[in-house]
Amino acid sequence: MKTKIVLLLILPLFWNCSDDQDDVYQNIPIEFKVPSNFPPLAYNLANNPPTEKGFELGKKLFYEGRLASDGVVSCGFCHLQEDAFTHHGHTFSHGVDDLVGTRNTPSIQNLGYQTAFMWDGAVNHLDLQAILPFTNPVEMNGDFSKAIAMMKGDAEYQKLFRLAFTDGQINSENMLKALGQFMLMVTSSNSRFDKYRRNEAGGTLTQQELDGYAVFNQKCASCHATDLFTDNSFRNNGLPVNPSLNDVGRFRVTELAQDLHKFKVPSLRNVEKTAPYMHDGRLYTLEAVLDHYSSGVENSATLDPILKRNGSLGIALTAVEKTQLIAFLKTVTDTQYLTDKRFSEY
Amino acid sequence: MKFQLKKIAAVVVIAISLFSCSNDDEVISGNGNLKLEFDNTYGTANFAFNTEYTNSNGEKVKATQLKYIVSNIVLTKADGSTFTYPKSSSYFIVDEATAASQILNLANVPAADYKSVKFGIGVDRAQWELGATGQGDFLAAAQTAGMTWNWTGGYKFVAFEGNATSATLTIPRNYRVHTGKVVVNNVETYNYAEITISFPSVAKVRTTITPQVHIIADAKKVVDGDNKIALTTGTSGDIMSGDRLALVTANVSKMFTIDHVHND
Repeated sequence: MKTKIVLLLILPLFWNCSDDQDDVYQNIPIEFKVPSNFPPLAYNLANNPPTEKGFELGKKLFYEGRLASDGVVSCGFCHLQEDAFTHHGHTFSHGVDDLVGTRNTPSIQNLGYQTAFMWDGAVNHLDLQAILPFTNPVEMNGDFSKAIAMMKGDAEYQKLFRLAFTDGQINSENMLKALGQFMLMVTSSNSRFDKYRRNEAGGTLTQQELDGYAVFNQKCASCHATDLFTDNSFRNNGLPVNPSLNDVGRFRVTELAQDLHKFKVPSLRNVEKTAPYMHDGRLYTLEAVLDHYSSGVENSATLDPILKRNGSLGIALTAVEKTQLIAFLKTVTDTQYLTDKRFSEY
Repeated sequence: MKFQLKKIAAVVVIAISLFSCSNDDEVISGNGNLKLEFDNTYGTANFAFNTEYTNSNGEKVKATQLKYIVSNIVLTKADGSTFTYPKSSSYFIVDEATAASQILNLANVPAADYKSVKFGIGVDRAQWELGATGQGDFLAAAQTAGMTWNWTGGYKFVAFEGNATSATLTIPRNYRVHTGKVVVNNVETYNYAEITISFPSVAKVRTTITPQVHIIADAKKVVDGDNKIALTTGTSGDIMSGDRLALVTANVSKMFTIDHVHND
């Protein structure tokens, strides 16, 4: 009798063990659909095809505080989903040991359509982008060897790496590929504006919003181009240089005088949720942003030519046009993406 | 007797021909190992840290660091065919400070006579375009070795650091020569160097023989090769960006020479 009980107790242990042994690569592909109103995908899917398990691992890594030197600051620490993966209310985010960077946290959405990442375009492959915040001493201050050692000692990671990758290896390559898969899949394509563009149910814009869209197309869309609202270029939009930072922008990458103080044109998707604005988070409201373009643009050698046409600086905007523009910009808020459980920490 | 002599002669001839046959047709099969040794020098002198050398710019140089990434190793056999060492296993960091890092152990090399080796210094464009794919744990190794650039998420291909003085700059100023992928005139510039070295005698890889190829790496040439790049002029001793890296890379592509091959 006793033996039987002992056997019954031991048996589940064996099952567990054998389950672990069966943790092999699960090739459950995630279909990546390019919405009909989007530009072509830039990311090479064949090189790192997203799978359910790769995505799951990437998400776990994205929210993993133990990757940082202080065990706390994960990617999701500064990239909050409800703020379109920005750090609402933070001009600059604080990383490990309360250290503070010099640039405003950019949004994470539709990254597979971009060819350059970071405000200065320092990285040109999505799978390599995570290296920067991960290793930056004022952000996560991470060390790949330590992160890998941590994951190798964690049963959950051991299992997930086996499920996510054919070689099952816990290494920097697979870590970055999983993060790449997660970031690739974070898509915002179902705002009211998108539905309007695709003639779908729920895609109705008010007259004010339509007027705003017309103003936008006339005065903003040359840089904030396509339905992703960026032409992926680097431009100086006339912000007075903050002397305490003197952020040279794109110049840091190219060292060309013509690139001084140029920053990447950001997407405006979910812009209602991503305050504060600009590369250094200096503007707190959309009204302040439009006021900058209408009356705050400062001339300089590298100011974008579009902002000094006909001898006048900035973009002429009436008060009515500003109201219309802001009404329009709020139509690109995508509640589905902001609340999508697939992207959520919990 | 004569007949016997003839017989003996015939046997001897046959025996010799058999021996020579077996020499010619030595059956070479299986896999072996090959070692590439990178021996850093400074001109004709041995290279050592904190030792003063004079370069052709008249600068007195004391190095404190010399590291480089070796990659994409391809061996060419005597018959001209090639063996490409698996790319993802082909990344190594040679570090003057660590003797063990200076000997690259190549395993599972098909047994053959090899006459030359081709390798890269740095990470090639094809690899960059794959993102993280194919890099295994090399990024972790590179970060540990201080061979990553965290501003751009990439690798340092060559890191040559120290301090230097000149007739006009008498207080030693630190210099840091780092090559890697940079953007020059809005064009991605990879600064990857490819080097081919012919052996003076073949390297005989056998299941029982691990040849060691002794390669000389002349650190002097990093900034003092075909292109002379001053370490003591300008506002800083940092040479880590722009079109000067193409000049350094051209120098690096000529800093490696063969010394000898051991077959034992």
